[in-house]
Amino acid sequence: MVLEATMICIDNSEWMRNGDYSPTRFQAQADAVNLICGAKTQSNPENTVGVLTMAGKGVRVLVTPTSDLGKILACMHGLEIGGEMNLTAGIQVAQLALKHRQNKKQQQRIIVFAGSPIKYDKKTLEAIGRKLKKNSVSLDIVDFGESDDGKPEKLEALLAAVNNNDSSHIVHVPPGPNALSDVLISTPVFTGDGDGGSGFAAAAAAAAAGGLSGFDFGVDPNIDPELALALRVSMEEERARQEAAAKKAAEDAAKQEKGGEQASSSHDATMAEPNSSSVPAVDDKRHNLTDDEAALLEQALAMSMDDPKSTNVAVADTDMSEATADDHELALALQMSVQDNAKDSPTQSEMSKVLEDQSFVSSILNSLPGVDPNDPSVKDLLASLQGQSESQQKQNEDKQENEEDK
Amino acid sequence: MDSAAASAIPRGQVDLVDFVDWSGVECLNQSTSHSLTNALKQGYRDDVGLHLESDADEQLLIYIPFTQVIKLHSVVIKGPEEEGPKTVKLFTNKEHMGFSNVSDFPSSDSIALSPDNLKGKPVNLKYVKFQNVRSLTIFIEDNQGGNDVSKVQKIVLYGTTVDTTNMKDLKKIEEH
Repeated sequence: MVLEATMICIDNSEWMRNGDYSPTRFQAQADAVNLICGAKTQSNPENTVGVLTMAGKGVRVLVTPTSDLGKILACMHGLEIGGEMNLTAGIQVAQLALKHRQNKKQQQRIIVFAGSPIKYDKKTLEAIGRKLKKNSVSLDIVDFGESDDGKPEKLEALLAAVNNNDSSHIVHVPPGPNALSDVLISTPVFTGDGDGGSGFAAAAAAAAAGGLSGFDFGVDPNIDPELALALRVSMEEERARQEAAAKKAAEDAAKQEKGGEQASSSHDATMAEPNSSSVPAVDDKRHNLTDDEAALLEQALAMSMDDPKSTNVAVADTDMSEATADDHELALALQMSVQDNAKDSPTQSEMSKVLEDQSFVSSILNSLPGVDPNDPSVKDLLASLQGQSESQQKQNEDKQENEEDK
Repeated sequence: MDSAAASAIPRGQVDLVDFVDWSGVECLNQSTSHSLTNALKQGYRDDVGLHLESDADEQLLIYIPFTQVIKLHSVVIKGPEEEGPKTVKLFTNKEHMGFSNVSDFPSSDSIALSPDNLKGKPVNLKYVKFQNVRSLTIFIEDNQGGNDVSKVQKIVLYGTTVDTTNMKDLKKIEEH
């Protein structure tokens, strides 16, 4: 949370055309710059960041220290590669830009991206470093790209001359598959002096690690609330169905059990029931599910459209990576619905089974305000429901739909 | 500049350490283990073991703001013989100076310290130039022995405040 004014010195020399960092050195550098600007402005809203280029026709300040992130990102566009990097002039101009910062209370910091070879000798660099230290300017060096002519040693000497109380850092990034910005995220360049800045850095690291941000279904409710809601609703529907199906299986298995026990199990409707799910578990080997967003989305759409065929397709297409309890239930539920469809009876038959279970219904009615299960009219209704649902199993769908409306 | 009677503080003047605004005090090119408070703050400055030391080279730039407007009469700078400061320039009311603009404008006063001064003899300043001082910048340009490191044992500022120049309230502070 240090109040800081930062000048970033970009290397846009010919050496940046090389592709040993993907996609090109220059692009990797630009990404890293964007990330750093974001991190600095987030860690303290009063921080300012400026950018200058060291190569090309000469040292050119693209934007003076500002807290406007948009301006900084905009100036990174349309930069041309060419020329040779002038490190000493770049650092001196950066120092001058920082000297004229508007808020004198800000600490001064320069971040240098050194990608091309350094033609200056150690003495010159050390003199520059001492001058920076004298004016209490911290320096962060990102050593990437070319590494020859004793470049790392020169940069280390520069760092040693500048370093005051570990406020300056150097990072050597060798070429490789990792992006430059990913490597930098974990370094003190990003995280500041061990202190804060880590909120942004942590979020960036999590995103960079790829994949889900840890939310349910892999969808951020902030970004896409409707999708998240649809997925959640369909998941709950499947859970309810699976609950009912499991309960039916338990009922059949232990017909002589009293209704009270089943009522207590029905209260756990929204919670996972591994015991009951173990019964149909044997059949589940075929159907595998993953956290795959596309698969979930297809299933959600399929269920909402009540289209059994597409549900079947979705299940068949997915592969298993990690089976969680949720997915297990979902698999079972899907399988039940698939099997039901195979038998050519409607999915609504499951609903009738739910209604058929008088204890379940009475427990629901208990939870409804204003309804007294001991009321004779309610009892009659229940009895009629039960009788009707039994007859429906022998008859066709239409009567079931009528019962649904009740 | 080299007036007589070193020990007693100048008549009618006050030690201005009480009027220093500590939140704004800055020192460029100081060594982190030997900082300005060692030379300026009461108690620290009298401790022989604590001193202010320069870091990268022999120059030091000290910025001292005050809580109220003062008139500066004289100053005492104590230091070791070899590494104590020699040429000292004083600037008034210039905020956030850097080493690059010390030569941009003339100083309010420039003093050359003798070994006597380094032992504690106060240096009288051009009083007329220091009538309305909100902040003081002390630029130590070089040291007695021409070393790479300058050391300052103690800095004392003597003067009066503009608002309450009440002679009756002046306490005679004994210098040791």
